Amino acid sequence: VREAALWVSGAALAFVATAGAFLLLASLAAGSSERSLRPNPRSSGSGPALELRLDGDQLASLRALPGQELDVTVGNTGRKDLSNVNITLVVSSENTALSGLRYYRETLDELASGTFVTVHFYLDLSAREATAASSPAAVPETPRNILEVRATTPEGTSAVKTAILPLRLES
Amino acid sequence: MRSRAALLIAAALLAAGCAHAGEAISIPPLPDTGGRVNPGLGPGTRPLSSGPGYKGSPSWSPRGDRIAYIVDGYVAARSVKAADVRRCTTTDFLAEDVEWTSERGLMILGSPSGAREVPRSVYRAGSAERSLGVEEIAEDALTMGPASGEESMLIALQTTPSASGLALVGDDGAVERVYTGTIRGRITGVSVSPDGRKAVLATRTRGERPYFELHVLDLREGVHRRIARLDEDLEVFGAPQWTRRGIYYVAGRNEMSADGSAAPHYELYRIPPRPAEPEPAPGVGEGFVVSSIRVSPEGGRLAVIGRLDTTAPTNLYVLDLHAEDLEALTDNEDMVIRTGPDDLAWSPGGESIAIVARGALSKEPSVHAAPASALLDDFYNIYEVPVGASR
Repeated sequence: VREAALWVSGAALAFVATAGAFLLLASLAAGSSERSLRPNPRSSGSGPALELRLDGDQLASLRALPGQELDVTVGNTGRKDLSNVNITLVVSSENTALSGLRYYRETLDELASGTFVTVHFYLDLSAREATAASSPAAVPETPRNILEVRATTPEGTSAVKTAILPLRLES
Repeated sequence: MRSRAALLIAAALLAAGCAHAGEAISIPPLPDTGGRVNPGLGPGTRPLSSGPGYKGSPSWSPRGDRIAYIVDGYVAARSVKAADVRRCTTTDFLAEDVEWTSERGLMILGSPSGAREVPRSVYRAGSAERSLGVEEIAEDALTMGPASGEESMLIALQTTPSASGLALVGDDGAVERVYTGTIRGRITGVSVSPDGRKAVLATRTRGERPYFELHVLDLREGVHRRIARLDEDLEVFGAPQWTRRGIYYVAGRNEMSADGSAAPHYELYRIPPRPAEPEPAPGVGEGFVVSSIRVSPEGGRLAVIGRLDTTAPTNLYVLDLHAEDLEALTDNEDMVIRTGPDDLAWSPGGESIAIVARGALSKEPSVHAAPASALLDDFYNIYEVPVGASR
């Protein structure tokens, strides 16, 4: 009887150990599968990550005139230093029939991990030349200005922010 | 006995392990819209465009897999499943209406010079061609409407300063028939009966006190007759819609509101087959303010953009003409739905409706962590609203 009890206990222990191993393997497999479907974190701190910041008060002060000043803050929230960070700012009209995109560009040679740098832009936000496409017959509203800011590195790290400016014609 | 129990325990543990492994499969799929679905119009709504541009006048291709629309005056078309937007005219074109006549052919009412000329012309353009050129097929055009079940278009033409005529034009631009019977006044809207044999026309007669009339044209015999004349202070908005339950039209006037501004107040009317006398449309309820209507492909339902009363938000409704039941398809919280006469369109199968909407304009700058081409609420965009089971 004692031998039988020992045999049963040993067998049960072996099964429990085997089941535990299966559980462990299943957990590992499930974990890796879930991770592979998640999007890459924007600022996990494990790799290069760019962050763009636009000042709301400064955006609110912009007028549809030339010589408008805008600060764009670029941050490296990753653990690796970045180099050759291109900041491109495109001013476009809400009216897609109007030509005349205005491009502005700055390059940061270095952007150390954990640092933020502010870049100054002087923008021309004056209205485009009136065309048939800008006539009230085509679009009954005066179009708004759109600022699209992109920060990119040669390695492919990027960030984008788009600001839509309410219509303010006067200074 | 004990060994059997131990085996059962081990098997249960093994099963538990397998079940845990299976949980990894239950990861919800990514949404197929390529972006966020706007919650402001209610569940099930799907964007069919994105990015800047003043959009309007959506039109589904005959198979329902592409949609054309006007954006900032020019015409664009894209697949309903992929963002392969393609311009169909130059950007200086000034289109007012666009309709498909075949899978590859579009007819456009407008002007290539960018001027709001009345009358305009009708042009033919290819939706898949690389050229942005358009071919003028009819000048002195007032309005147009698809001919039922055919690859052709009914075009209203100004024949004299005070009279109109109609022409049936095929997909290739060839004139198939000219209806020589002159119609007094300017035709402002046209739609064809569900059986394709007749057309209902709205006309505006000039004079010291202009007035609107509704006419029925027999497309086989070429003869027309007046079926209604509106009071002189009422105007017909958009094209009357010929349904299986009679002819529906929107009529009304601009009324002065308390703050002194003109507020449009339009109501829905019906002319039943018998007796053919105009009456308030049954089913919409008293006080309902209508903006635009469009009959469903099978003729038994009416898509209606309107408000339950003057203070309610604008929504898309479907009026079941047999049951006289009005159902709201959108649950608009803070969106602005465009209310032009051509700013709604049924899909060919009648399972969804395209409308145009955007979020309320802000007085403050808005900033988004996305490119402008992916934004939805900030600009007028086309949305597909499911209707439910087709009847």
